[in-house]
Amino acid sequence: MQKQVNEILAQARSEPPNILQALLVLQEKLGHVPLEAVPEIAHTLGTTTAQVAGVLSYYPDLRVTAPGRHLIRICMGESCFANGCGRLLREVQDRLRIDMGETAAGGKVTLDTMSCAGNCAVSPTVIIDRDLYGRVLPSQLDAMLERYK
Amino acid sequence: MSMATRLFLSNDTSARAAGAGPVADAWSDRPEVQLIRTSSRGAFFLEPMVERDSPDGRLAWFNVTPQDLPLILSGTGGTPVRSIPFLAQQTRFTFADFGETEPLALDEYQARGGLQGLETALRRTPDAIIEELRVSQLRGRGGAAFPVWNKWKVAQQAKADEKYVVANADEGDAGTYCDRMILEGDPFRLLEGMLICARAIGANRGYVYCRQEYPAAAATLRAAIHKADEAELLDLDGEFFPIEVVEGAGSYVCGEETALLESLEGKRGVVRARPPYPAQAGLFGRPTIVSNVLTFATIPNILSRGGAWHAALGTEQSRGTMALQLGGRVKQPGLVEVSFGLSLRQVLDQFGGGMAPGARFKAVQVGGPLGSLFPASQLDIPICYEAFAEAGAVLGHGGIVVYDHQTDMVDLARHFMAFTAHESCGKCTPCRIGSVRGREILERIQAGSGTVDDLVLLADLGETMKVASLCALGGRAPYPVLTAIEHFPAEFRNRLRT
Repeated sequence: MQKQVNEILAQARSEPPNILQALLVLQEKLGHVPLEAVPEIAHTLGTTTAQVAGVLSYYPDLRVTAPGRHLIRICMGESCFANGCGRLLREVQDRLRIDMGETAAGGKVTLDTMSCAGNCAVSPTVIIDRDLYGRVLPSQLDAMLERYK
Repeated sequence: MSMATRLFLSNDTSARAAGAGPVADAWSDRPEVQLIRTSSRGAFFLEPMVERDSPDGRLAWFNVTPQDLPLILSGTGGTPVRSIPFLAQQTRFTFADFGETEPLALDEYQARGGLQGLETALRRTPDAIIEELRVSQLRGRGGAAFPVWNKWKVAQQAKADEKYVVANADEGDAGTYCDRMILEGDPFRLLEGMLICARAIGANRGYVYCRQEYPAAAATLRAAIHKADEAELLDLDGEFFPIEVVEGAGSYVCGEETALLESLEGKRGVVRARPPYPAQAGLFGRPTIVSNVLTFATIPNILSRGGAWHAALGTEQSRGTMALQLGGRVKQPGLVEVSFGLSLRQVLDQFGGGMAPGARFKAVQVGGPLGSLFPASQLDIPICYEAFAEAGAVLGHGGIVVYDHQTDMVDLARHFMAFTAHESCGKCTPCRIGSVRGREILERIQAGSGTVDDLVLLADLGETMKVASLCALGGRAPYPVLTAIEHFPAEFRNRLRT
């Protein structure tokens, strides 16, 4: 772990050291930022564990546990709200039997919400991994989820 | 064999979400088609929209599926773009070329008047550039609506070894997407605006802080910066002016300028107390201009056409055009660039086209998740800063979301407070504690266990947050909640414990 973290951080070096960007690079390579790596990250960046832990806990996109193989995000923005994202979220929760922020048994999918995808004119919006879907109807969910088995 | 027909299809994220992707995939290997991927006109209710050239200008086919290709190639059933009312009634300057051009075609950008603003700026002194901005009366389009020239003057006069220009591409207000459209569809316009600013204040380096939710925007912008560099555009008086795209990590409050600067420095995105303002001491303590993407994209036209041209548009306190973004339960959601001054009703009727099928109007929210709600009786308010300020509301970043008769106002109010509680940076007590207590009160009312005292407490809490919060997140958060209670009191009272 220590060696891997150091190698990744060596590629993301900046002056002055940028904690957030370093953590984003780590997450990109490892899928998440392991909590046990925090002291090593702090040491490498020349800062304190408190600073690193502070940044890590602040940003919603930084994860301290590995996400599922697929990440489903339901947009909760106002336009999506007006167009029924609440029902979409409930239906996805029922189908996957997981709550917001949880990962399904077996690590297949993680379910999350987001505050706005900027796709408001084609709402409601569901993002699965890097694919963005607009005008999503509850009746389309089964077929959509099937693609990410 | 005849030459392939040139067909234009948007590559904008929302156009793809509407189905442009499958259309492009299906036609990509057809020898009779030369597919050109453009920005979007913003008439998203018509996307995927396919266009081709004709003697009448572009002809368009709406809501296209892959099976429509023979129809389009035969040229039947197309509508002249200039006769689409949604577009024809707009006053487009910043978005004039949207839907016409390829986002990364620098030669096309230039052929349509791009870079003329920068050329003008390079011929002028910094003082003369700032004077042009003063004459234009441009106010920041991100939400705070501060006079742009004023900020530039402060940064220009500040003495420092380094100065920075930062474009705020953290378009977090739910219901807004015009910055995303610019980043994905016309990135050189943003870069040109940033270069003009850099020239005026004497900046050494530029950053674009782009939200993580916009991966296509960040990729397009990076490609545009590379092209601009190759064309030697990132050169100010012989000095290289590097522009870097830095991505955020999902925090809404990082759209607030001081939190954004903290985040750019790699720290927690916590709001700083002002003064000092970023124009005096911003990124790494150096003078920094932070402006929203739409603001920078408005500036090239002001330099090339003159400040007086811009000042001639709009109303007394709101000059120029505003990019309004329609969403929610309207029939025709999309981007509307118009001069300030139309009434909210005109915008909803003329451009929104009324309500979506089966939906009846209940309320409209203007200005994102911190914006006030307006009931049907208050739609005659003109869309301009002064009228909204007088009504205790904000235009914000121009988001307009329409709610229909099925909307549960208690649930909506709870949704707003839960949003603030989730996004509060925690620096000041009124926002950190107030938003959580506000959410709890609304959850109580929603569960049927709230009392009249809870409504009194909520109003009291709202007033405290308004006056005592450090930034607009806490300061504006009570507005949608309190206007929901003001305009739909029965919905709240009926849920109280008797």
